[in-house]
Amino acid sequence: MSGSPFFNKYRLWRWFKSGVVHVFLMTVTLTCLFPLFWMVRSSLMTQETVFVDKAIFPAVWHFQNYWVAWTEGHFGIYFLNSLVYTVFVVIGIVLISSLAAFAFSRLHFPGKNFFFYMFVAAMMIPLPGSFVPLVVLMNKYHLGNTRIGYILCMINVGLPLSILLLKTFFDKIPSDLEDAARIDGCSKLGIWRHIALPFARPAIAVIVIFSSLSVWNEYILAMLLLNDQSLMPLQRGVMYFAGSHSVDYPLLMASLTIAATPIVLIYLVIQKHIIRGLSSGAIVG
Amino acid sequence: MKRLFLFGFAVFCSIFSGISCSPATPQTDRIVIWHWMTDRDKAFQALALQYEKETGIKVILELYAPSDVYSQKIIAAAQAKILPDIFGILDEKSVVADFITSGFVADLTADFKADDAAWEKVLFPKALLVNRFDPDNPYGVKPGIYGVPIDITNIQMIYNKNMLKKAGILKPPATMQEWFDASSALKRVGLSGFVSGWGELWMADCFATNYAFNIMGEDKVMATFRGEIPYTDPSWIKVFRIFSQMREKDVLVPGIVTKSNKDAEQDFALERAAFAFNGSWCVNVYNDMNPKLEYGVMLPPSASKEFPMKIWGGAGSSFFVNNVSPNKTKAIAFLKWLTAKEQQTFLAEKTQNLPVNQNSLASIPPILAEFSSSMESTTHPAIWPLNEDALVLEAFDRGLQSIIIGEKTPEKVAAEVQKVKLRQLERQKRIKNDLYQ
Repeated sequence: MSGSPFFNKYRLWRWFKSGVVHVFLMTVTLTCLFPLFWMVRSSLMTQETVFVDKAIFPAVWHFQNYWVAWTEGHFGIYFLNSLVYTVFVVIGIVLISSLAAFAFSRLHFPGKNFFFYMFVAAMMIPLPGSFVPLVVLMNKYHLGNTRIGYILCMINVGLPLSILLLKTFFDKIPSDLEDAARIDGCSKLGIWRHIALPFARPAIAVIVIFSSLSVWNEYILAMLLLNDQSLMPLQRGVMYFAGSHSVDYPLLMASLTIAATPIVLIYLVIQKHIIRGLSSGAIVG
Repeated sequence: MKRLFLFGFAVFCSIFSGISCSPATPQTDRIVIWHWMTDRDKAFQALALQYEKETGIKVILELYAPSDVYSQKIIAAAQAKILPDIFGILDEKSVVADFITSGFVADLTADFKADDAAWEKVLFPKALLVNRFDPDNPYGVKPGIYGVPIDITNIQMIYNKNMLKKAGILKPPATMQEWFDASSALKRVGLSGFVSGWGELWMADCFATNYAFNIMGEDKVMATFRGEIPYTDPSWIKVFRIFSQMREKDVLVPGIVTKSNKDAEQDFALERAAFAFNGSWCVNVYNDMNPKLEYGVMLPPSASKEFPMKIWGGAGSSFFVNNVSPNKTKAIAFLKWLTAKEQQTFLAEKTQNLPVNQNSLASIPPILAEFSSSMESTTHPAIWPLNEDALVLEAFDRGLQSIIIGEKTPEKVAAEVQKVKLRQLERQKRIKNDLYQ
């Protein structure tokens, strides 16, 4: 029987290894997905049952929590604001960082390395440390409590990492390709547009998802910079249900589900590019 | 492509120039308040509408939570000089003092003292103490009252009436021995004893200082802080022993030293413990978690008859008036209105917080009245003449945890705390000498 090709010891060993890997991966997947599942489950319960009902699925599903969270948390305006902030900040970061990274990678100008390292050094400053100076600066230029002020600050926050990622990619572009484009009549901007940007698509996908995540989940800077409630982002609505002492858990979970859904969708849409970006060294730096 | 880009840019500019705006210039018919109290926002909004109807002055309440972000916002706004008419300072008294000396906070003493101190007299004196700066205060602030408390709070023991009944306990324990007996009775019927959020060190510290005041009195506690009495003194050993006795008598729920207050609140609300040590804010929390919970409030069981039992308490939340606001007078008038009997009763009913106005006590829910009845027994580190050094306090609190888990004896912890105390006293002496040289 041991001689049967079906029970070949190499095949058994391969199955065993594959089984261990699959069990490990399933465990990791479960630990990643379980908090999300628990969030959705709790969002369908009531404040009375959320602490006592230990069942995996609630006995009665309270879908109205989503409507209550949406209206009481004023999610309509906050959702729109977050959408606007995310779109403009991501466009701003991709445009500015790709131009800057292209310049640092392909152009020669005095102080090139100095300025590049200055950008990289900006990543070392802890984010909360820069908040108060940003608020003071924005108010000095009458940009406090404005959408433009907030967008500019968020672009500024996202630039260093994006420049570093893109420069790493642009450095890999063969100079022959650039020369060929120049012979074909491309200007420097043309090379950036037609050669560099398509080449760095995986890195741009990584930047888009990282920046979207950071803008979508950002709250502290918005709270510091914005006073008008109609300018606040989505996270403001989430915080509405988390009091300092008492927390409305089902509504909090419903609002978290609403807040998390768009970002999960973005990830699903561009996951192919992100994986390619990660595997091709976009975040190696 | 270029045209599309230009079109997009034009749309962007027009949208943002139209919708965005810098803070509007202050109007004299409106007051802006920045607050952090999510659970009270609806009640505040209702009162703001009522105030507008009565006076024609619009009150704009802007909510910024959680409290740590709010604190950052206030500091940033002070630096950018864009503080609203009314705001809160959630930091220590020294930070409040910094705001006052920098000219950001209005001195309200004259308003409190006007009309034979009518405003001051209706509020709980203990609540005002937190915002009062006495002559010769260590912060160099001009003596006076600078903040308006809008509610009060205190931290006491809470007991589950049904669980006590099940264990045959007829009345809540008043002494340590009665408490230990009650815990044994609870154990006999399979119920757990006492829970508190002692994973948050300040709560264990609060419990311990209650007993320090009860066993040796305030003067001796302050003398210890000054370094005149060692932590190895028999009175302090007695304080530490309370924790070792609680462990030996199996009074505590398992894992109490790592419990956050939120977890502890959940345990008590879901009847997993018969006693809890918690603040008056718990009324709101328990009501959310288990509206059917039947509980009562009591002072921690006394360990000595020599000195009265003291509990932490005083002002819950306070508002301050922007000293440079053009609406300063209107802001003060609004706060006076907010702390009047009717508004305080309304707030207590809607938010389950203790009212700061003494005249509101007759018309508030019974459980809140129970909490309020002990306001005379309150004290707080913010109003003590001096506080213990932070490193000594840390050694003290960590020592309490070690005793609870049975890692160290009270005597050993006392010796270790005293060692840190001596080191800190020596350090302070050195710094003082260096300053004078």
